[in-house]
Parts: sequence; C-alpha cells; structure tokens
Amino acid sequence: MADLLSQLEALATGARAAIAAAPDEKGLEELRVRFLGKKGELSQVLRGMGQLPAGERPRVGEVANRVRDEVEGLLADGKRRLETKALEAELAGAPIDVTLAGRRLLPRGHRHPITRATEDISAIFARLGYEVASGPEIELDWFNFEALNLPPDHPARDMQDTFYVEESTLRAGVKPGSVLLRTHTSPVQVRSMKRLGKAPVRIICPGRVYRSDYDQTHSPMFHQVEGLCVDEGITFADLKGTLAAFARAYFGPGTRTRFRPSYFPFTEPSAEVDVSCTICGGTGRKDGKRCGTCKETGWLEVLGAGMVHPRVLENGGIDSKRHTGFAFGMGVERMAMLRYGIDDLRLYFENDLRFLSQF
Amino acid sequence: MRISLKWLSEYVALPSPEEVARKLTAVGLEVEAMERTGQGLRGVVAARVLSSEKHPNAEKLSVTRIDRGEGEPLQIVCGAKNYAVGDVVPLATIGTVLPGGAKIEKAKLRGVESFGMLCSARELGLSPDASGLLILPPEVKPGTPIAEALGLEDVLLEVNVTPNRPDCLSHLGIARELAAILGQPVRLPAPKLAEAGGPASDAVKVRIDAPDRCARYAARVVEGVKIGPSPAWLARRLEACGVRSISNVVDATNYVLLELGHPLHAFDLERVAGREIVVRTAHPGERLATLDGKVRTLAPDDLLVADRDRGSALAGVMGGGDSEIAAGTTRVLVESAWFEPSGIRRTSRRHGLKTEASYRFERGADPGMVIPAVDRCAALIAELAGGVVRPGIVDAHPRQNARPEVRLRWRRPAELLGMEVSREDARRILIGLGFEERASDADGATFRVPTWRVDVSIEEDLVEEIVRTLGYDSIPATLPANAVVMPAEPVEAQAISRIRAALEASGFSEAVNFSFVAARALEPFGRSVETGDGSGRALGIALKNPISNDLAVMRTTLVPSLLADLAHDRRQRIEDVRLYEIARTYGTGARPEEAPSAEALQVAGVVAGRRVPVGWAAPGDVVDFYDAKAAVAGVLEALGIDGARFEAPGASWLHPRTSAVVTRGGEVLGDVGELHPRVAQAFELPRGVLAFELRLDALLRAAELVPQYRPFPRLPAVLRDLAVVVDDAVTAASVEGLVREEPLVEAVTLFDVYRGAPLPAGKKNLALAITYRAADRTLTDEEADRVHARIVKRLAAVGAELRT
Ligand SMILES: [Zn+2]
Repeated sequence: MADLLSQLEALATGARAAIAAAPDEKGLEELRVRFLGKKGELSQVLRGMGQLPAGERPRVGEVANRVRDEVEGLLADGKRRLETKALEAELAGAPIDVTLAGRRLLPRGHRHPITRATEDISAIFARLGYEVASGPEIELDWFNFEALNLPPDHPARDMQDTFYVEESTLRAGVKPGSVLLRTHTSPVQVRSMKRLGKAPVRIICPGRVYRSDYDQTHSPMFHQVEGLCVDEGITFADLKGTLAAFARAYFGPGTRTRFRPSYFPFTEPSAEVDVSCTICGGTGRKDGKRCGTCKETGWLEVLGAGMVHPRVLENGGIDSKRHTGFAFGMGVERMAMLRYGIDDLRLYFENDLRFLSQF
Repeated sequence: MRISLKWLSEYVALPSPEEVARKLTAVGLEVEAMERTGQGLRGVVAARVLSSEKHPNAEKLSVTRIDRGEGEPLQIVCGAKNYAVGDVVPLATIGTVLPGGAKIEKAKLRGVESFGMLCSARELGLSPDASGLLILPPEVKPGTPIAEALGLEDVLLEVNVTPNRPDCLSHLGIARELAAILGQPVRLPAPKLAEAGGPASDAVKVRIDAPDRCARYAARVVEGVKIGPSPAWLARRLEACGVRSISNVVDATNYVLLELGHPLHAFDLERVAGREIVVRTAHPGERLATLDGKVRTLAPDDLLVADRDRGSALAGVMGGGDSEIAAGTTRVLVESAWFEPSGIRRTSRRHGLKTEASYRFERGADPGMVIPAVDRCAALIAELAGGVVRPGIVDAHPRQNARPEVRLRWRRPAELLGMEVSREDARRILIGLGFEERASDADGATFRVPTWRVDVSIEEDLVEEIVRTLGYDSIPATLPANAVVMPAEPVEAQAISRIRAALEASGFSEAVNFSFVAARALEPFGRSVETGDGSGRALGIALKNPISNDLAVMRTTLVPSLLADLAHDRRQRIEDVRLYEIARTYGTGARPEEAPSAEALQVAGVVAGRRVPVGWAAPGDVVDFYDAKAAVAGVLEALGIDGARFEAPGASWLHPRTSAVVTRGGEVLGDVGELHPRVAQAFELPRGVLAFELRLDALLRAAELVPQYRPFPRLPAVLRDLAVVVDDAVTAASVEGLVREEPLVEAVTLFDVYRGAPLPAGKKNLALAITYRAADRTLTDEEADRVHARIVKRLAAVGAELRT
C-alpha cells in the first residue's frame, strides 16, 4: 500500500510541475491525457489497487480521488492562466486604422431647404391651431384677382406679372383670358372660406406660385405660405401678436417685429412686416462692418399682412358685419435664405447635389 | 416717385432728410433710397477771369489768370474760347476729382504751368454741353462753391408709392401727407396769371363725345410764345426727378405734373384743325402717329383727343406727332382733363405704352386738380416762353365725379384694431388729411372724402387712415382669444412626410423643379391631356406667355425635370446621383369653368451611378433595376402597403426588359425601371439610368398608415432549404407562389439565384429558405418533411428540377 501511496504522491508532484510549465492549451490537453486519461498515469496506478487487501482499498481510493481532484483543478487553473495571457497579448496589440471611413450601405439623402422651411413654418402655425389648406395652381382669374378685390383693369394687377393659360389646351368652356397660374397663395383664402362656409377659419396654405419675371432676384416659380384667421372679434392686435409669436419661433426668441402701413387690395388696413435682422441682431453692423443682409437698417422685410377686406370676406361667403379676420403671406425662399444663409435664388431650382447635400 | 427735398420744401417746412424719410415710411410711403446730389463737386469754386493771353507754344490754348476769391491770382491754361475777361466760371482746384473720375493736378502744358482747370458743364457732370466753359451769373462771388452757386445740393428720395395712392405721385401730394403728420399747413402754389386779349373760347372749342370716358376737359390758350430751352433751375429739377428737359413749353407741362401730380398736354394750336378739340373713341381702323414715332392702329375702345379731322393724341397716354409742340410753335393749347381710369389702363396695355400720364390717370387723377393745374401750367408757360394767356378756360364738364361720404362708427376702430381710438383723435387725423366732417351723432360721424383720395370708400379705409397716422406701433400685440380647435394632420401630409423619410433613407435627395418644361421634354413620355369637348389632345396645359419655350408647358410627369437635374449634376462631374421630387402634375379639368385643371401629386425619382459611393469597403457596382425597385419598395413599406405586384414591362418610356409596372389590387401605383435607351439619348444621358414614378392618390388608396397588430405564433418552426433549377423565364414570384400554396408555409426567402456552369444555358438555380409552422401545435420533423415533399412535387409539375 505504501508503494501505491508514494506512486500517487509522485504522480501529483509530477503533474504540478508539468502543468505549471505547459506553454499552451494543446500542452494542457496532452497533460490531461497523460495523467487522467484512460491509459493515463492515474489509471496505471489504480490498476495496482486490485492486489491490495480489501481493508486498505478505501484509503488508497481516497488518496487517488484527492490527487485526481487536484490535477483537474490544476488543469483548470492552467487553462484560465493561459486564456488571460492570450487575452492580454491580444489587447496589447496595435490598434486598427480607425481613420478609415465607416461602412454604410447608403448615405442618407437630403430634404430640399424650401421643404424644410415650409415644414418648419407649418409646424409653428399648427401649434397655433392652423390647418393646412390647398388650392389649385392653375387658377381662375376670379379667385386669383377679382375675389381678392382686384377687378379687371385694376392697376394693382401690375404688382404681379401673370402667366396666362392657353385655352386651346384646356377643356372647352372657359372665358378667354380667365385661366392663369396663381400669382400668390391668396386665392386659397377665398376657396377655404367657401369650402368651410362659416367661421372660424384658421388655415395656412403653403404652395407654389408663379410670376412672369426671371432674373437674378426673380424666379418665375417660387413658394409662399398664406395664412388666414377669421372669427368674431379678430383684431389687428391679434395679427400683431400672432406674427410676433411666429417670428420668435422661427427666427429665435430675441426677434423683434415691426409693422409698417402698406397696401394690398385684399386687406384693409394692410401692413408690411419687418423682423429684426437675423444676421446682425438688428444693429445694422456685423463685425464692425456694414451688414449687407439688412443693408444696415437692422430690419428685414419678410411678410405682408392685414385685416381681410370686407369684400373678400363676402366673396368667401362670410358675413363681414359679424366677422373680422386677418391674413398674412410670406415668401418661403426668403425665409429659407435668412435661415440657412443662402445668397442666390437660382440655387434653389438648379438641384445641384453639392447644394442639396448641405441640408 | 423721385422727390426733391429742395423742391418739397417750397410747400411744407421740412425736418431733417432722415426724419422726412422715417415719417413717410411710417405712414406707408416707403422711402426706398436717399441720394445726396451735388456732393461730387467739392473743390470746384467760382472764379473770375482776370486776364487771358495766347499760349506762347500752342495755337489753341490760352493762358489765363483768375481770381478765386482768396490768395494770389492763379495761372490756368485753358482751351475754351467762349468766355470773356471778367466772366465768372467754374474752377476745379488742385486735388479735385471730377464726376468723370479725372483728378486735377498741377500740370505743365506745352511748357506753361497750370494750377487747376476751368470747366465746362459736361466736365462737371451737369449737362452734355461741352461747347465751352460754363459761364456763371456775374453776381456769383469768386470762391463760392459751385454746388452752392448753382443750387446743386439736394436730397432726392425714392418713394415707393403703392397703387392705391396716386395722390402721392407729386411733390404737392407728398407735402400734403407730411403736413398732416407734422400738423402744419401746406403752402399751395398760387399762379400769377396775367390774362390778355380775346377770350380763350374764341380761339378753340371743346366737345366731349364720350362723357363716360372723360368727365372733364379744360383748355387754356397761350399765344405769342417763343419755344426755347428751359432755364437751368427748371431743367435740373426735372432731371433730378428723372424727366428729360425738352423745351420750355413741354417742360412746363412736366413740371406741373411733378409738382401737382396732374398730367397735362400741350398742343400747337395752329395744327388743331378747325380749332376744335373733340374727345371721342377711335373709329374702326383709325391710325395715329404717336410722339414715340410709331404709327398705331387704334381699337374702338381707345379714347382720342382729336381735332375736327383726326386724332391728335391718345387721351391720357401719349400725344400725337402731328400736333406736337415744335420749334416754330407760337400758339399753345394746354389740356387738363380727367379721364376714366380703367379705359386709360386698357389703352396703355393694348399699345404697350406706359407713360407718366397713363400711370397717374389709370390709378385715378384728382378731379379737383383739373383747373388749378391748367392755370398753373399756363402761367408757367407765359413766364418761361413769353406770350399771353387768353382770358378764361374752355371747360367741358359733362359729368361730376362723385365725392363719397363715408360713415365712421366710433367703436369701429377698436373692433378692427383691438385698440381704443378716441373720437378726438379720429376727427383730428381725418380732418388733417383733408376729410370734411359732414354730420355726427353719438354713434359716429360722416366724412366727405377729399377729391384726391380715390382710394377711400368704406369705413375700413377710414380706420386705416387713422391707424397709419397714429402708427402701427401703437397697436398692442395679443393672440386671438377664441379657443383653438386642434386640427388632425391630413392623411396626405402624413403620407408625404413618410415618403420623404423613406426615400431619404434610401439615399435620395429632394429636388424642386419648375412646374413648366419644354414641350419636347414631355414628348418621349407619350402622355396627353384632354382638350376641347374631351376628344382633343394636347401634350399638356400650355402657357400663353411663357418665359421661354423651355418653360412653356405644365408638366404631366416629373421625370423629365429630374433627368435634366441628373444631366446637370453629371456635367458637374457628380455621377452617383439619387434625386426625388414630390410635386403636382397637371391635367385638364372636366368642368373648366369651376376647375380648369386636375392637379395630381406625383412621387418620382432617378438613380444613376454606383450603388454605394466609392470607398475602401465599397464594391463599386453600378445601380440596376433592383436599386430603383428597393426605393419603391421602401415607399410602399413606409405607407404600410402590402401585396403590391411588380410586373414586366413598365411604361413605354422605360426599357421593356428591365422595367415593371407596380400594381396593387388591380390599380396601377406607378412604374419603375431603366430608362428606355431612346429616352436616355433624348436627355443626353448614358444607358443604365433608373427612374420611378408613383401616383400619390393611388398610393393613398392602398396605404395603411396606422398599422394593425396581428398576433404571431410562438410555437417552434421547422426550417428547410430547397434548391430548384428552372427556366430563366420563370419568375421568382411564381416559384414562391407555388411554395406558399401549402398552408403550413409561413415564410419563403429566396436567398440565391445562380446561372452558369454546370447548368445549361437558359436555366437558373433558385435557392429558397422555407419556414414551416403550425399555429396550433408543435410541428414535427416528419410532418414538415411530408409538406416539403409535396412542394417538391408541385414544383416538378411545372418543370422545376430538384437540385441536391
Ligand atoms: Zn443686418
């Protein structure tokens, strides 16, 4: 028995040294086979147990189990040690080239600045309860002019150079010269009032408009947003408050507004609305130099507005004795120019990707 | 309207130019520009010629000595001959920069030193006259700055007068506004008329045959005039306001126009046949030679000022060449009339003639100014051109212009403005502006509108007069007190914003193009709109007056615009392009008197170049049909549209082999595919450009914007792969369809398509991954195997071979 016990002791000693010296996981696996395998050293030793008297067997068995547990534990420790070493080696290696471009399937596309500005404007008015309305771009003279208090031969028609539609390319039944491309979004005012048939009316209408003027500062097609609020007791003060709130929401909380008398045939009284210059903050000077955006005035003209002319209310089927309303309109290209610093109108319709991809 | 402050100050005492500009702008007369004149002549002073001798070395030059009011006399070499010793002339001293840019320096001319330059009117930028030195009045003291001596220093305002305010198209009109704001009186010009001779009515008769078009025609006669140039002060005033000086008589009419705002016309009375003025409409086919040298054929609607025999002027628009004031004119008829505005406008537009006169008449001249203007003009002609004014006015006045009276309820300003206005303020302002209070009671007052205010006719107009005078700044800012009804976002707007997001996620950037294109850009698309009674056809709704042929027809598809954008980007060497546009296309409306057009939103896109922009990890493949299809599929998914079908071929503008029409439930949603090679060629694009076009109305009908939850089975699934060899013509959808006929099939994914060896030509291998699942039990492998075997049989029946 003493012989067997010493053999087991020798086995344990040998295993301790060998496992500590194992260079890698493969070496550890070989040691497992050598010591604990079916034909391994432990099995060899235990084969001699059969010759022992039965009384001595449990003692030898006990020692054998202890040796097995120890060797297994050593093997597991050795494995952990090697894994840690390998991980440390990996982590200590040189980093990859993180400056290479990230891998993406498709670069994202970009929304046109006119759409972005229109969406921003609409969202602000949506919060004030304005619903989006629309109307045709190929419009009848009556809605574009007459219903807005611009009868034929009215000199204010000169303010808007109009595109007329060739009647032979329409269905029969139109009066000559009565179909045009809308010169402003204002006809939607009358259409919306007629459609709703009663107050309150609170709409905005973004859309394309057309004037036959094409040069550096005029485009034959451009975009407007029209607004209309009709109800009992609507006042010019409400118009001022609404547009001041809009200007602060769109241009920033410090924005001031200024109303100047002006003339639109469809509003009375009428106003041009200026906002404090977004570039120089209304000081007229930027970095010690003249501010070119507001031409040193500190103000930017951005909106036309006024109290809806009673004739326009009546043309929309609204009783002008009971109701009052205000209307306003703005050019989207200009609003986007001021917001994004765009300095050339033509960029909008050229659709150069180097322009579009900046938004 | 250009306003000279110097001139204006004759009628009202002015504050500083800046204050004038600020005040005018504040009442709605926007001052767009302010220009100071006479500033460029600093350094030019009056100088007296003390002596003048011949230049020793130059035949054409003289050597002068001049007195410039200070220091020693200066020696100046001069080339002009038109002066005499003792004359006062302009001297540009050393260092002066003349309006032409020339800098005066000490110079030696042919060996003689010269300390400055004596100037002509042209050199000073005052007139084109370069015939000699400008000779100043002898009383001008040497040393006086030239701008002061000539009264050149002035401030000019460019005032934007809105179309409703023709009364402000004159110095008097602007003065009236300023006087009202400043609470001052207006000093009206009081013409000194020295009448003599027989009455004017002996010299000419006036008859108005068209009283609806001409309410009044007043004429004065001035005889014995001598046509010549106007004095410099008058010419300068006209020129400051942008009117060319012509002759004393013509200038007098223009001067009164700019002063009082009333257009006048002067005729050579000798050339008025029958000494008779007839205001009538034109005869059919009648012709008139106008002052601009054109012979015009008139319409029966054109109003003429005629003599016994023929037309002398297009009334209120332009004079005729035959009765024009000429160098030999001695007898002048001065016309002052009131013409009906819309008729003037029709004539002005019909003949493309826009004049100072038509501009004012079509907006509405002041009927109260007819007589004062003719008096002022006749007096001025007599003053400038000599002659005698015959006594009296020949005045035909068939129709009185109505002077409206408008009632103002005292509470109305508050109702409209949201601000209380006292009765006293309302009265004071309106009366200051020339309104007359006719009656008043506890509720309000009635005001008579001044003759020059053609724009005031209703109560709201009076409120505007009050508030623009008080200033818009005095109105508070409030928000409407009424409850806000929160509107739901319209379905269309929701759908559009989802489509945008989907396309942008697919790499598309948004383009915005003009709604009109060239006719030839639409031709390849084979579309048309119904015209006439519905049987006619046109390529699209066309414009009568397009900017150019390239912008002449309203689009029936967005694709040509996007192709043009693509071509633009390619010219800029940008080759990987994905663009989309969402905009209207324009068809004709079936009930054109209510809705001439049928406008439908379309979603379109173009794709060209590499699938992924070049990069270290990019394979560099170019796009094909499936990239465009993916974009369309992205849109459909974003709208919750299930069950759309893609069937070859697409529309005729697409390549028949690589395109598809997109349908759902039998309705066409749009088309997608490669451009037809001929279309690509027409747009100067290479082969391989992809495009799609979707109809928003059809998409909306198919859309399910609010997704509905469907329960999904949680029992385990069995997965099986399947590879079959089929003919090339067999579509993936048809194979998948056969597989799906088995009810236990939950999903089919085609994960590989292979053509080539060892397969024979015309065959392809399709590899499918199939998921089997039962909703109510755990599917066994055996059951799945049985279904899988049935599928193999089904496929075999249509010629598919199982590949192992
Ligand atoms: Zn600024």
